[in-house]
Amino acid sequence: MKSIGHLTDFYYNTLYPTLQELEEQRRALKDKIIKFGILLAVAGLLIFYFLTDGFKSIDTDMIIFFIFALGASGAFLYKILIKDYASSFKTKIIEPLIHEIDDNLRYDPVYKIEERIFIDSKLFTDKIDRYSGNDYVTGKIDSVDITFSDVHAEQKHEDSKGRTTWSTIFKGLFIVTSFNKYFSNSTIILPDSAENLFGSVIGSWLQSKNLARNQLVKMDDPAFEKEFVVYGSDQIEARYILTHSMMKRILDLKKKTGKPVYISFVNGQMNLAIEYDKDLFEPSVFRSLLEYQVAMEYVKTLQLTVAIIEELKLNERLWSKR
Amino acid sequence: MTILIIIAVAALILILMYNSLIAKKNQVENIFGGVDAVLKKRYDLIPNLVASVSKYMEHEKSILENVTKLRSEANKPGLSDKEKIELDTKITSALGSIMVAVENYPDLKANENVMNLQHNLTEIESQISAARRAYNQAVTDYNNAIEMFPTNMMASFMSLGKKDVFVISEGERKNVNVKEMFNS
Repeated sequence: MKSIGHLTDFYYNTLYPTLQELEEQRRALKDKIIKFGILLAVAGLLIFYFLTDGFKSIDTDMIIFFIFALGASGAFLYKILIKDYASSFKTKIIEPLIHEIDDNLRYDPVYKIEERIFIDSKLFTDKIDRYSGNDYVTGKIDSVDITFSDVHAEQKHEDSKGRTTWSTIFKGLFIVTSFNKYFSNSTIILPDSAENLFGSVIGSWLQSKNLARNQLVKMDDPAFEKEFVVYGSDQIEARYILTHSMMKRILDLKKKTGKPVYISFVNGQMNLAIEYDKDLFEPSVFRSLLEYQVAMEYVKTLQLTVAIIEELKLNERLWSKR
Repeated sequence: MTILIIIAVAALILILMYNSLIAKKNQVENIFGGVDAVLKKRYDLIPNLVASVSKYMEHEKSILENVTKLRSEANKPGLSDKEKIELDTKITSALGSIMVAVENYPDLKANENVMNLQHNLTEIESQISAARRAYNQAVTDYNNAIEMFPTNMMASFMSLGKKDVFVISEGERKNVNVKEMFNS
C-alpha cells in the first residue's frame, strides 16, 4: 500500500507541470468569479431598487425572497463557471493519483455507486427521493474487490402549504468491498447516537426497541459499544464477523477519519459509509492547488479510503475464503 | 374504577416481567443450540486429525489419547450445559497443545492433509469463539434479569436459576487470532 508521503511526493513532483497549468487556470477563474459576483450583486441591487420604488416599499418577505433568489443564481452561475476547471482537475490530478495508488483501479468522474447497491446495504432505512453522486473508483487492491464513490441521498418533505424541502439521509463516501469470511445473514453497525444522547441504560433500551432493525447485538468490547450499535439477524454470525480485533480496527478507522462511520455486512459484501459534509475530490477555486493543506486533503482522503483494506485486513485469507 | 385500573396495570407489569424472563431464558437455550452445533463440527474433525498426526507424534501419544477420550465423553447423550462447557475448555486446550506440537515435526507441517485440517480447525475455532461470546452475552442478560429487582422476585417464583458462562481466555479476549495460537 502506498503511503501518504509517497502520494504527496507524487502530487508535488510528478504532477507539478500539470498543477502549475491548472493553478493559472484557477487564478483566472477566481478573478472571473469575483467579477461575476460583483456584477450579480450590482444587478440584484438595481432590480431591488426598481421593484421597491427606490427602497421605499421594503418588506421582510421580499428581502428574504431576494436573498434566496440571488444566492440560487449565484450558485448556478458558479457551477457553470467552474465546470471545465473541475473536469480537468479530476482527469489531470485525481485520476493519476488513483492510478498511482494502484494501477488496477479504474476512475470515472461522473459515474456513482448505483442506488440499488446503496439501498441493499441496509445502512439507511429512510425512503430515498433523490440520489446523486460522482467520482466512481473500482478495481482490485491486494486481491480485494473495492468500489467507492461520493454519494448523496436525500428525502423530500412537503409542508401543509405545499412547499418542498429536502433533507439529507446520507452524504459522503460509500465503499463496497468483498469480505474474507462467508456469512449468510446481515449485520449492521451504526454510530451510537441513542447511547450518547440518553446514557447507556435508556439508550440501550431504545436501541433494542428499534423496529426498523433486526435484533440488537450487544458487543463485549466497552469502547466499541460506546461508539457503535450493532443490529443483526444472527447473534452468533455477528460475533463471527466482529471479532475483538475487527472491533478494534473499526474503532481505529473511526478515529482516523474523525467522521461518523456506518458499516454493514450484507449479501457476502461489506458496505462502508463515511459521512462527509462536502463533495470529495472537488477542486477548490479560492485556495491554491500548490498549498500543502489543499494537496493533503485530496491525498489523505484517497489514501484513507484505500487503506481501509489494510486497516480491516480484508486481504487476510486465513479464514474460510481461500 | 381506580382499583380496576391499578389491578390491570399490576397484571400488565407481571405479564411483561414474566414474558421478558421467558424470552431471555429461551434466548440462552437458542444460542446454546448454536454453540452445540459448532462444537459438534469440531468433534467430527478430531478423529481425522488424530489419525493424520498419530503416526508421527510418538512423544505426544498421551495428548492424542486424551483428546480422543474427551471427544467420546462430549458425544455422550444427556450431558448438562455445564458439563459441555467444561469439556469444551479441556478440548480447546488439548487441541492447542497438538497444534503447537505439530510445529516440531517438519513432515507434518508440510503435509497437505494436516494443513487442511489446521485450516478447518482454525475456521471452526473462530466460529466457536463467536458462539461462546453470543452465549455469554445471552447468559449475562438472563442472569442480570434473575438477580435484579423487581424481576428477581418473579424469577424466584418461576424457580429460575443462574447459568454458567464460558470462560474466555485472556488471549482470546484480546484478539481472536487462532493463527497465532496454532502458529500456522
